Amino acid sequence: MAEPIIEVTGLVKHYPLTQGILFKKQVGAVKAVDGVDFTLNKGETLGIVGESGCGKSTVAKMLVNLEQPTAGSIKYKGEDITKLSGRALKSVRRNIQMVFQDPYTSLNPRMTVGDIIGEPYDIHPEVAPKGDRRRKVQDLLDVVGLNPEYINRYPHQFSGGQRQRIGIARGLALRPEVIVADEPVSALDVSVQAQVINLMDRLQNEFDLSYVFIAHDLSIVRHISDRVGVMYLGRIVEIGRDAEIYDHPTHPYTQALLSAAPVPDPEAREHRERIILAGDVPSPTNIPSGCRFRTRCWKAQERCATDVPVLAVPAGFRDTGGAAAHDSACFFAEE
Amino acid sequence: MPEPTAPAAPQAVARSLRSDAIRHLLRNPVFVLSALVIIFLIVISLWPSLIASGNPLKCDLAKAQQGSQPGHPFGYDGQGCDVYTRTVYGARTSVTVGVCATLGVTVLGSVLGGLAGFFGGLWDTILSRITDIFFAIPVVLGGLALLSVVTGGTVWPVIGFMVLLGWPQVSRIARGSVITAKQNDYVQAARALGASNSRLLLRHIAPNAVAPVIVVATIALGTYISLEATLSYLGVGLKPPTVSWGIDISAASPYIRNAPHMLLWPAGALAVTVLAFIMLGDAVRDALDPKLR
Amino acid sequence: MLLEVRDLHVEFKTRDGVAKAVNGVSYGVDAGETLAVLGESGSGKSVTAQAIMGILPSPPGRVTAGEVLFQGRDLLKLKESERRKVRGAEVAMIFQDALSSLNPVLSVGDQLGEMFVVHRGMAKKDARAKAVELMDRVRIPAAKERVKQYPHQFSGGMRQRIMIAMALALEPTLIIADEPTTALDVTVQAQVMDLLAELQREYNMGLILITHDLGVVADVADRIAVMYAGRIVEQAPVHDIYKAPAHPYTRGLLDSIPRLDQKGQELYAIKGLPPNLMNIPSGCAFHPRCPMAQDICRAHVPPLDQLDNYRQSACHFWEECLDG
Repeated sequence: MAEPIIEVTGLVKHYPLTQGILFKKQVGAVKAVDGVDFTLNKGETLGIVGESGCGKSTVAKMLVNLEQPTAGSIKYKGEDITKLSGRALKSVRRNIQMVFQDPYTSLNPRMTVGDIIGEPYDIHPEVAPKGDRRRKVQDLLDVVGLNPEYINRYPHQFSGGQRQRIGIARGLALRPEVIVADEPVSALDVSVQAQVINLMDRLQNEFDLSYVFIAHDLSIVRHISDRVGVMYLGRIVEIGRDAEIYDHPTHPYTQALLSAAPVPDPEAREHRERIILAGDVPSPTNIPSGCRFRTRCWKAQERCATDVPVLAVPAGFRDTGGAAAHDSACFFAEE
Repeated sequence: MPEPTAPAAPQAVARSLRSDAIRHLLRNPVFVLSALVIIFLIVISLWPSLIASGNPLKCDLAKAQQGSQPGHPFGYDGQGCDVYTRTVYGARTSVTVGVCATLGVTVLGSVLGGLAGFFGGLWDTILSRITDIFFAIPVVLGGLALLSVVTGGTVWPVIGFMVLLGWPQVSRIARGSVITAKQNDYVQAARALGASNSRLLLRHIAPNAVAPVIVVATIALGTYISLEATLSYLGVGLKPPTVSWGIDISAASPYIRNAPHMLLWPAGALAVTVLAFIMLGDAVRDALDPKLR
Repeated sequence: MLLEVRDLHVEFKTRDGVAKAVNGVSYGVDAGETLAVLGESGSGKSVTAQAIMGILPSPPGRVTAGEVLFQGRDLLKLKESERRKVRGAEVAMIFQDALSSLNPVLSVGDQLGEMFVVHRGMAKKDARAKAVELMDRVRIPAAKERVKQYPHQFSGGMRQRIMIAMALALEPTLIIADEPTTALDVTVQAQVMDLLAELQREYNMGLILITHDLGVVADVADRIAVMYAGRIVEQAPVHDIYKAPAHPYTRGLLDSIPRLDQKGQELYAIKGLPPNLMNIPSGCAFHPRCPMAQDICRAHVPPLDQLDNYRQSACHFWEECLDG
């Protein structure tokens, strides 16, 4: 039943660190993304959670072709889009669009709302004939819950939540099949976040969209996602259906992340068991050998320093068939 | 619709950043004052005869160094020329040098710097090293060396020299502001839509990167005018019969004790002009700086 | 009360008019108590803190009325030189962005030591020893070696610890923490919040925690003051407010948190937008977004009613709201 629309295999992005003024010499690399695999099915929402620097935003940029991967492939309906250029690239771009985090920097302050939402049609004139565009833009404004008469206003006349709606309208203009949303609500006020989440939910049904929803807020990701991947230092350490990840996490990092997230319930504070991780995330220029989480892991043993755990259903759960039987990259996975 | 949307702000009409900046400028007395001075300067450099009926080159040695008298409020200079007429006519030279040098510097600097900032890579590295070299050349010394070989004393070699030495300053600013603008999400958004490089540059980056260049150019205009005077004073810039405040200041300086009026009028005009442009630049910066909004 | 803010008003003069950032805020905090001030951007929660500390950017900001009583003295009436002695020594502040709050060209040890040199007239060498001691106290590993390092050599969580160390240096009786963990990752957030709570207990300090995060509040606060459009709309002990909010805004905030049993359904969302401070709605500022609003809400500003000994609500219909 699940029909894959995007398949990501072995995705790697290393940014070289160079020295020298004119003749540059590579002295190392920031391993922002270091081997990521996942599949996005048609009509579903894949949430990706992780802390800053885990590489989730870089994955987003590669999905919409703003960054070229160092290695690996991204297949859209079976076709590798990482090496496309020219017209082929342009037509793929129509189908995969992005919603940005910061509604204050993602809209050109010198263009009117009409120009911003209409720009996709300037770039892809085949989608909408010229005479049609104004009406189409007004339709889009209406779809995202803004007054169509605001078409001649400038972005600075809108609040953060309204700007994010404009950004979503721009992303929808070309009727894409996939929308990659990179922290779309984290810059918004709490009372406005729910509005934007509801809007995205509604649009998904209305336009048959598939979402890659990247965020650090675990409760929002759980609400909107069908499946969730947890990233740490450039890799997915655990991935599965939302209930599998949230209620039956088997990777220690996921467990720590979930237990550290503040819960809006003061009754819970006394009898909550929290796993407080020691130390900080290591630098992506100098990733620990073996399992990259071992430097902060309370379960780490010698094996974790030498062998790299693969992302697969852990042996212990393989035959149980329960909710714990989902992909987790840990030698000592347990509930 | 799931929820009604309240209007964003009390104002109902569209207000662009540019119209905001203009409104702000017109309310700033510093801007209004300096703009009036500059408009006046431009008018008299186009039509000096509007306020000065004499001929700046018609001199009478017999009247040399004489002070203020009816019909000749600024007195006469060492050659017996009317200081008032010469001061008025000198504005044309100064404005020509300032405007042309600034235009040349701005166009050359922003194109080179903007492209280097946008494309980055090897060209950017090379351009940055070249600008470093130019920054190492002392302006006055460079002027003495380069302009002493040119004869004629017209404005064009002086302007050429200023463009040659001035563009790296603008190029550095333009490069920096393009790099800043390039990183904005709206540029990424347009790129993700499939926008071409020229579209990114002309529609998204240039309009948002131009403000610092305008500010630097306006302030630089004043300094070019004073640089012209400096070079003329040193004898390598303009030469008679061109009329210039610098030449007059140079000619008058030996007589500062006996006939100070010969020096004070052209020097005063120069100071007011330079100040007006620098204040204008300051006001424009205040109006364009989004951090103050 | 250790600190008592009474009827504070703050205005900002901007190009487009006067923004009324704080419109009559009163709250207090006792020694050893944590008061969470909850609000969205523009609610006035940070501006109130700046006014207490006397670091309001001025111009354009100006305290137009009110009192800030700290141990009985009105801080607003003190001379700047006297206020400076209070700042840091008696009331300290922790900011959201530790990197920009630390001086990048001075070593961490110098910045921590400076507190002792300036306020206590200590010799440089003794101050350095004190700095190491403080870094130990906020559990920065290898403090002796790291005291010579510069802020950029520390991670975000470690920098926030240094900020806490700096705030604690002179053993103040009150700490104001403005979104202290917002810029940090979840796993580091928990470490820093725990540390702060522990140190507060140890020194029996008052803590004003300014935040927008309902989760952080539930974890550490004793009491909560909810702010909206420069006013306090509800004030209550933490357990009461989460159990039964007495103001529709608080209720809306709590309801819009995604819950497990709502999966697949629409989230509850407070309709509309936060108010424009240049043009605050008449009557109750929340009325255009409130599901319970009646005519009286448009006409009359609701007073902050006392519900019982501990709770206050500024809603004409707080009884209905309490009943759900």
